[in-house]
Amino acid sequence: MKDNSDISEELLEIIERYINGSMTSQELKDFNQLLELDDDFKLKVEDIKTMLIGIEAQSLKEQLNEFHTDIPKTIVSKSTDIKVRYLNWNKIAVAAAIIIAFGSIWFFSIPKNEKLYTEYFKLDPGLPTTMSRTDNFDFYDAMVNYKHGDYQMAIDKWKVLQEKKPNNDTLNYFLGVAHLANKNVSDAIPYLERSIEAEDNFTFLDDAYLYLGLAYLKEGNTELAKKNLDISNTETSKALISKLTK
Amino acid sequence: MGKQLHLLSQSELVYAIKSNESDVLKHFYTTNYKKIEVLVLKNSGSVEHAKDIYQEAFITVWRHIKNDKFTPKNNTALQGYLYKIAKNKWLDVLRSNNFKKTKTLNYESLMFFKNEEQNEDENLTNNKLKKVMDVFKHLGQPCKQLLSTFYFDKKSLKDIASELNIEESTARNKKYRCMKKLRAMVLASK
Repeated sequence: MKDNSDISEELLEIIERYINGSMTSQELKDFNQLLELDDDFKLKVEDIKTMLIGIEAQSLKEQLNEFHTDIPKTIVSKSTDIKVRYLNWNKIAVAAAIIIAFGSIWFFSIPKNEKLYTEYFKLDPGLPTTMSRTDNFDFYDAMVNYKHGDYQMAIDKWKVLQEKKPNNDTLNYFLGVAHLANKNVSDAIPYLERSIEAEDNFTFLDDAYLYLGLAYLKEGNTELAKKNLDISNTETSKALISKLTK
Repeated sequence: MGKQLHLLSQSELVYAIKSNESDVLKHFYTTNYKKIEVLVLKNSGSVEHAKDIYQEAFITVWRHIKNDKFTPKNNTALQGYLYKIAKNKWLDVLRSNNFKKTKTLNYESLMFFKNEEQNEDENLTNNKLKKVMDVFKHLGQPCKQLLSTFYFDKKSLKDIASELNIEESTARNKKYRCMKKLRAMVLASK
């Protein structure tokens, strides 16, 4: 750019009017004539033109980032992993390390727990049901379902009874065991937790602790499993503890 | 402009872009980005590349419209033109040596690539314009704000003056001083 910074306010405004096309036809005619005659003037006009476009272009550029945030997010997330794939091997390495770490935890701990669970889980045989017992018909009716392996039916029936007697240890215990038999560990745990709150003379207390321990084992919570198995005074729990602490 | 009817929306678009109508620019910007992103991502680029290339292309198209270098010939001409320019810009990047050399692009090489991209753009567009843009970018906030509002947002001096709570003549004078300052800085940055 040639050093012709000595431009007056009036001239600047005239050039601006030329650029944005707001000159009268007579003005424009004069202006064009001047452009043809005076090369310095022409250069000046070109400079101002560039400046105005530059101001606008930069203003626009600074707005574009704002616009960009309004582009729907779905594309961004979709393309992020593509970006990772192409660009960031570090991130991939970190991700891989995490996957391997969690994978090995899963591989070495959970399968072991699962294995122990299947090895040691033996279903409670339930209570003997005889035709003569009529005083607690609903309970034994469900027990029949339980013994026949229809755990869901047993659960549904016991649940009705349990809602009336939420603190009945035997009911809670069998509901827990039935849920375990029904392969629903997370539902079993609350019932078993309630059943171990029973009095010390509760017939199924040791078994309740055993099944609770087994349930936690299956859930992958070895600590709680050990704690409950420790309290349970059964052959199975002792054997399991020795395996777990090995 | 006695255009055919089906060209009206394009001419309207051109007119709105010429007068920097923010809503129209935004709409035009946001609705045409996806295609470019897909193109760049499919061709060894990242989201960052896509954004940079798209913004460069967008400004180029905007300039061409301003200078009447481009006039729409069919219904989707402008959208197609933007796509074409972005595509060509991306192809230039892909053909560039630095891009070929970097097999895996980590952050460092991305930065490297960005610098190179700027140099390349300087060859393609007007050096002077780049300089003005750069100087204006770093101009003091009051001047920058004033010039941007007047020249880009096309607000009248009267409106600007009332917003700043000053006389219109003061605003006019401020604008002139800011222009002088910018001009001096551009000339000095040679």
